Amino acid sequence: MSQAPVNIRELLDRRKVGYSLEAPFYNSQEVFDADMKHIFGKHWMYVGVEPDVPEAGDYMTVQIGNQPILIIRDDDGEVRAFHNVCRHRGSRVCTHDKGSTGNLVCPYHQWTYNLEGKLLFAEHMGEDFDPSKHRLKPVHLKNVAGLLFICLADNPPEDFQELVDTMTPYIAPHQIANTKIAAQIDIIEEGNWKLTMENNRECYHCTGNHPELTISLYAYSYGFAPSAETDEGMKQYEEMVKERHAKWEACGLPSAEVDCLDTKISGFRTMRMPLDKEGQSQTLSTESACKKLLADFGDAAIGGLSFWTQPNSWHHFMADHIVTFSVIPLSADKTLVRTKWLVNKDAVEGVDYTVENLTAVWNATNSQDRFLVEESHKGSKSPEYQPGPYSPYTETLVEKFSNWYINRMKTLIGD
Amino acid sequence: MTTTLTLPDFSQAAPSAWQPGVDDTVKCVGIRQETHDVKTFVFRSIEPRRFAYHPGQFLTLELNINGETVNRCYTLSSTPTRPDTVSITVKRVPGGVVSNWLHDNLKVGDDVSVLGPSGEFSSFSLAPNAPKYLYLSAGSGVTPLMSMSRAHVDMSSNRDIVFLHSARSPSDVIFARELQAMSRHQPGFRHAVICERPGVDEDYAGYLGYLSAPMLELIAPDYKEREVFCCGPAPYMTAVKNVLQSLGFDMTHYHEESFSFETLNAASEETADVPAGDADSSSDGFKLSFTKSDLVVSCQPPKTLLAAAKEAGMRFPSSCSQGLCGTCKTKLVSGEVDMKHGGGIRQREIDQGWILPCCSIPKTDVVLDR
Ligand code: FES
Ligand code: FES
Ligand SMILES: [Fe+2]
Repeated sequence: MSQAPVNIRELLDRRKVGYSLEAPFYNSQEVFDADMKHIFGKHWMYVGVEPDVPEAGDYMTVQIGNQPILIIRDDDGEVRAFHNVCRHRGSRVCTHDKGSTGNLVCPYHQWTYNLEGKLLFAEHMGEDFDPSKHRLKPVHLKNVAGLLFICLADNPPEDFQELVDTMTPYIAPHQIANTKIAAQIDIIEEGNWKLTMENNRECYHCTGNHPELTISLYAYSYGFAPSAETDEGMKQYEEMVKERHAKWEACGLPSAEVDCLDTKISGFRTMRMPLDKEGQSQTLSTESACKKLLADFGDAAIGGLSFWTQPNSWHHFMADHIVTFSVIPLSADKTLVRTKWLVNKDAVEGVDYTVENLTAVWNATNSQDRFLVEESHKGSKSPEYQPGPYSPYTETLVEKFSNWYINRMKTLIGD
Repeated sequence: MTTTLTLPDFSQAAPSAWQPGVDDTVKCVGIRQETHDVKTFVFRSIEPRRFAYHPGQFLTLELNINGETVNRCYTLSSTPTRPDTVSITVKRVPGGVVSNWLHDNLKVGDDVSVLGPSGEFSSFSLAPNAPKYLYLSAGSGVTPLMSMSRAHVDMSSNRDIVFLHSARSPSDVIFARELQAMSRHQPGFRHAVICERPGVDEDYAGYLGYLSAPMLELIAPDYKEREVFCCGPAPYMTAVKNVLQSLGFDMTHYHEESFSFETLNAASEETADVPAGDADSSSDGFKLSFTKSDLVVSCQPPKTLLAAAKEAGMRFPSSCSQGLCGTCKTKLVSGEVDMKHGGGIRQREIDQGWILPCCSIPKTDVVLDR
């Protein structure tokens, strides 16, 4: 079956605001290649947390499209990123997902770089060889209060600094550097990454699909079309949010909504939201999953600080634990969703928390979401699929994601 | 200052297990005099902890001796079937800095830093399902085999175990009474002792001399059906191997613990009968031995360990020879070295006993795990 060549420019130009995207955005190779080049090649991506590399010499690797990347903590405690490509004959320098090393040594011919990427040693290269011309190539990295973002562009979007400045006070109280990764689960969704992201940006599907997640979420936080039955509830919810925000802000926990998902190159949104029942955590009981809190919050019921970034992440920060998600496209039809659960690094498994209880809600939710994404992806391949309208009440953030994506592509792809 | 540790609440679920390679602080809660020069030190964890390990594994003590931090590995003599304490059994060694320090200084109530269990030598991981075992030990090499035996007896595993221990004299037999009790409690467990000499115990009526082929055939006639685990000073283990090989034993069923600092040091000190310091001046340098390649070479400072190995024709993975690349990284089984590295190794690896032989000069005899 041969497909007609896709004209991305045309597709971008005819996208209808308020509607889902046309099929080729979800399943054509050309669009996927363009996504990797422009979206994942030129924006800041969330790839991990400081506790992925807790000590000097600890490294992690991540693959973005065809680019192997290496993230390492140097001897001064600073986290750095490099292209994980040896300057000799290109071998990957670090070959494991995670590890720890003195210097960076290529396994092929032992070219040896220090943690700043400087080539220290290369045998048999002769007198004229100049090691200083063969440093590991650096990758831009920003550590946002413990969340690690990288950018593969030569000149990364500068407005990311606004994200850093805005978000640092929100995230810092949760002390990521003082946590450990209690669990990490990678799932691969058989679907396009944009479907994964769109699915994340709405809770229209929550009532029907997420019995575990919705235990701790207020139904009114999902957004409702105005109607006589729900107006009163909606109003009460908004009152409560106002009241809690005032209380939390007074304790030094920024809570107010900030939303620039589609108004900035480095689009993001955040808000601290009350949780239902005990109000402590996204668990099946809504009580803390970990007895040792992340910091001395006084009260564990500080709701959940949510943080969404374009193009590839979302995060929930609670008093007792943090859940972070990064989305990495593997092909037009396959997407890696990497979830990490962080707890206080002094918390003892089996004593202060169990992994089972900690991960119960999001494990269930992730697998439900995987099903939803995979089903949309299958449907998008039908010749009868056509873009459908988003709800103006519960899918406003989906529209912002799509709008951001279309605008970024239009700008970057040229005419 | 001594704080008392609260006892665990045995009606509750067990606390979390000890993790390999993880630092912990333990408190010495008991010291037993086993023989005139052997003591057992019993430890409990300060954090609630269930000590999980394979019988035969060792822990690493981090001690502060005269203002210097030293790390030493000791095989656990305790058994994981009694998970609330661990113990090590240490023999005084003439000139042995750490073992003598433990004997003379460590008191009940003292806190000690330890690094969780490691080591490969365990019948429970190497041959868990063998129906019959032959445990051979000499001197303080008894500890890993005692740990394995205690676990079997505690579990009433009903394995057929012959425990054969060699000692200088009857008063040097470590755990003599307990071995008798174990033999009485468990029909499949038998033990025998071989002493070099009767010593003060003039009516000693057991085996005399050194382990030999006829002795082995007498004590464990079905030795060919047994999985053999051996631990003791290097000359002892060499002798055992010779005996077994001369009898045509299938050496794939032979396992030895070449690790213990204690037994190795004891061996060299016992055979040389001179303080270690004197060996420095001998003109042909220090002895450098390798556990896996069965090679012994000498290494005269300032020659590096890597250079000595290479001169002896050994193929040793290496590249920079300047302590940069880490390619030569090797576990130091025993001995001390002077290492000037260039970033090819991290402090925590050094703490775990790794060195870079390309930039290490021996300060004593050295055994490398290669
Ligand atoms: S490719 Fe890295 S050293 Fe040769
Ligand atoms: S050979 Fe490079 S560190 Fe030893
Ligand atoms: Fe969902």
